[in-house]
Formats: sequence, structure tokens, C-alpha cells
Amino acid sequence: MKIDKLSILAGKGKNGSKEKFGSIDIFAGQKTGIVGPTGSGKSQLLYDIEKIASGETKTGRKILINGKPVGKNFKIDPSQKIIGYLTQHMNFMTDSSVKDFLESHIKTRGKHRSKKSTEQLIDKIIDDANTITGEKIDKGMNLLILSGGQSRALMISDLAHVSESPIILIDEIENAGIRIKSALDLLIKKGKIIFLVTHDPILALDTDKRLVMKSGAIKNIIYTSIKERGIANYLSWINNYILDVREEVRKGKQIEELKLICTPMEA
Amino acid sequence: MKLVIVGGTPGSGKTSAIKFIIQELKDLNIHYVKFDVLNTEDHILIKEKFGISTEKKISGDVCPDHYAALEIPKIIESNKDKDLILLETAGLCLRCSPYIHEGLAINVLNILSGKPSSYGPLLTQADVVALTKGDLISQAEREIFRSEVVKVTEKGTLLVESNGLTGEGAIDIAEAIRNSPEIRGKITLKHAMPTAVCGYCYGNKTVDSDETLKRYKLGKSLKARIPNRNCGKCGFASCNEFIRAVLDGKAKENKCPFLKAEGI
Repeated sequence: MKIDKLSILAGKGKNGSKEKFGSIDIFAGQKTGIVGPTGSGKSQLLYDIEKIASGETKTGRKILINGKPVGKNFKIDPSQKIIGYLTQHMNFMTDSSVKDFLESHIKTRGKHRSKKSTEQLIDKIIDDANTITGEKIDKGMNLLILSGGQSRALMISDLAHVSESPIILIDEIENAGIRIKSALDLLIKKGKIIFLVTHDPILALDTDKRLVMKSGAIKNIIYTSIKERGIANYLSWINNYILDVREEVRKGKQIEELKLICTPMEA
Repeated sequence: MKLVIVGGTPGSGKTSAIKFIIQELKDLNIHYVKFDVLNTEDHILIKEKFGISTEKKISGDVCPDHYAALEIPKIIESNKDKDLILLETAGLCLRCSPYIHEGLAINVLNILSGKPSSYGPLLTQADVVALTKGDLISQAEREIFRSEVVKVTEKGTLLVESNGLTGEGAIDIAEAIRNSPEIRGKITLKHAMPTAVCGYCYGNKTVDSDETLKRYKLGKSLKARIPNRNCGKCGFASCNEFIRAVLDGKAKENKCPFLKAEGI
């Protein structure tokens, strides 16, 4: 199913007060941030989206896909599930090699065409994962020995290439050990709709808009300014630089100097 | 009246899931029963949280699923005023399950608990499978696990991702409960449970083939004559415990009022 637009129709907050917007439209290829303190309703909003709510959840919000509500079966049939989820807990629990694991996921998703095409896809997933993480992943490695950064990178690359979910929810992803901006760019390239709960400025300032949560309701919508995007780029550059130095430390090298030469506003 | 049986191994998140389900069904008059092997406090927790009627049933020596099946008629009889009986049980050996055709069978399945193909009727005969702890693993692993569950369950089984912390999935399960049939007349098990199959089931402690056979024959002949209702009139919690005591020489056969009536 091709998804061009997702709309959130206003519901109500914790004290029953109605949200002060009619509807919020989000288009394919856009990133939307969700910000606010603990208990402000961020997870509930993600839940409403994941359920493709039609007024039955406690907020009474409605989610429309391409301007229309979706059918009941469509919501719960796993093979038709259109929402992907990246949670805070990102560890693999399966005792298997990277290659075997990806192969079984590709088969599960019905994407196995031929031995050769599957092999190429596996290589592509690992190559892209390796652009996100500093430590190289090899397809013969066991999933359980992957570091946090490697696990996150592999999951994101897998999400981009294998899972067909056109809508992705990301709940407070940790950026330790990964080039977080390249990771999101990889997902965006696939034309997905992304929702991010995050206060990480690299991510939050690189979205198209941020939904500000308070007392269970969407209180405000901030459209990201060009200046904010510039700041996000600069911070991303620093993050990637830290990652490079981290690799040097891992390799057992002595760090002689800080090479902080960059143009803050570069894209 | 509706009868819903929620089964799952210990630690799979049954009770957490049930709390959110009860929350969604607050308009119904619910009776909650917890079956466990040794002990449980869940009936107190649920009573305190929701103010509904609850009870605990401890199976002791008997397989908890056999025991649940034996107790179901009594529970229905004494709760005729209720809209819904919610029965939670920890199916242990995975060979049995007390699911019935006339009600709704829910299996709470921990996504970290190994291959779905090694589960028996507890999973394969369920109408609803609530997958828990999915937030601890990756989307890819969840998808692979889910497709393995689909392979072993019957067509039309509802698969719900259920989160014991946020209550995700509770709405879908509550709706399945609302749509489940009313209990009327005869109740039948979905799965014929294995019977007592060897001398050890009758309390044999000697690891020896001849002893086991002897014990099995004696136990089986006794088992054939007693009503197997676990009525408790003999002073033992279950018929099996009574049989063991008789075989051990610790109790007389005529302690059982039914054997006594036979005129021994």
C-alpha cells in the first residue's frame, strides 16, 4: 500500500480539554518530532498512531491514512501492518549470524526472489549499516556479540530495506555509537513517514515540525526554521567527529590533536 | 455469561495483560479466578485494584490444567450472576490446556520464550495470542517470531502485540472478549488432555520398571473406580493425592464416600 499522507485529527488531553487544532497532515518523506516532559502524553500519541486510532483510545484522536480511516483487519493483521517501531531497547536476542538472521527476515517478509538477489540485499543492508556505525559489521558475526551501536545500525538498515512499513515510529533512540543523521536519511530516502520522540537536538532540530506535548494534548506545533536546521547539521558534525575519535581510541591509538575544522552550516 | 481462559507460562505477563483488559471491560460484572500450582497473590492484587470478585485455586499435585477443567463447572455454578468469568492459569508442561470451544482462549506468549513450534495446545489451540515483551527486541525479530506463530496456530487466530507497561493491545483483546459467545449448556474441551500415563503419576518413588508397572496397574484400577471429581470429602485435596495415599498404605479405600457406597 502506498501512503502519501497521514493525518492526526484532534482529540482531548488528560483534563478533557479539546486540542486546539483541526488536523495535522504529514506527508511521505517527512520527519515529525514529538517533544515534552515525562507524562506529557508522548507515548500515548505514538500509541494512537500505531493503532491507527479511530476514536477508541483515551485521547479520542483519529488517524487517517491518505485522508481516510482504515479498516479493522488492516490494523491487526500482522502481514498488513504498516507501522514500524524502533524502541529504546535495541538489543538482539536471537542466537544467529548476521547473514542467517537477515536471510530469515527477508524470507519472512516474502522478499526472497532468488539466492543471488537475497545475497545482494544482505550485502546492501550491511554496507548501509556500516555507514551508520563506526565499528564495521561483518556478515559472519553473531548477532549477540554486536555492540549497541552496531545493533542499532543494523536494525535501522534492516528497517529501511526489508520491512515495508511506510510509517516508522522512533521512541527515544540513543545516538551513542551511530551517525544518527545518516541513519534517518537512509529511512527518509525510502519515502517513509517518520515520527520521533526525542530531545536530542541533532534529531529534534532536523525534523520538519515538532509537536509539543503538555498534559496529554498536542499544545503547539513548531515548524523547524532554517537556522535550526543549520544548528542540527553542526551538532551532527560534532557527533560524527566524536564517533571518529572513538574509533581511534578503540584501535588503541593516542589522540594527538583535536581537528575541529568544519563549516557549521554545511549541508 | 462469557468464559475467557487466559493461559501462559509463568513470567509471560498474563497478570499485567489482564489488568489492562479488566480496565477496558469495567462496565461488565467480572469474576476473576487465578489457577496456580503452589501459591498466588494475584487474586488479592486484582481485587484491591478493581474491586471485583476474585478467587484463587491451587492445584497442588494435580496438573493445573486438569484441575482447572475439573473446577470450571463449580465456578460457573457459583457465579451465575456474572457477565464474564476470567480464568487465568499457568499451563506448565504444555501438553495440556483447559481451553474450551464455547468460550474464548487467550494465550499470553513471551516473545523471548523460544521457538513457537515447541509449544503445544496452549498456543496452537488459542483464539487470541497476545505477544508480550516485544519492546525488548527488534522489529525484525518480532516479525520473524510472529510469522512462526502464524505457522503453528489455526487460521483466523487473532495476533495482538501486547505491552504490559503501556497496555498496548488491551483494546483489541477486550473487543475479542466482547464478541465471544455466551456459555450455554454443554462445555467441551478443545484438546483432550493426556491421562495419567505411568506409575510415577500415581506416586511411585522408586526408579525401577517393575515397581512402576505395579504401581501403575494398582493406581489405574483405583482411578477407574473413583469419580475423579476432587470433591475433597476423603480429606485430600485431589483424587490423585488420595490414590497415592491408598497405595502408600496411608489411607483406607473406604475414606472415599463413592468407594464406600460401592460396598467394600
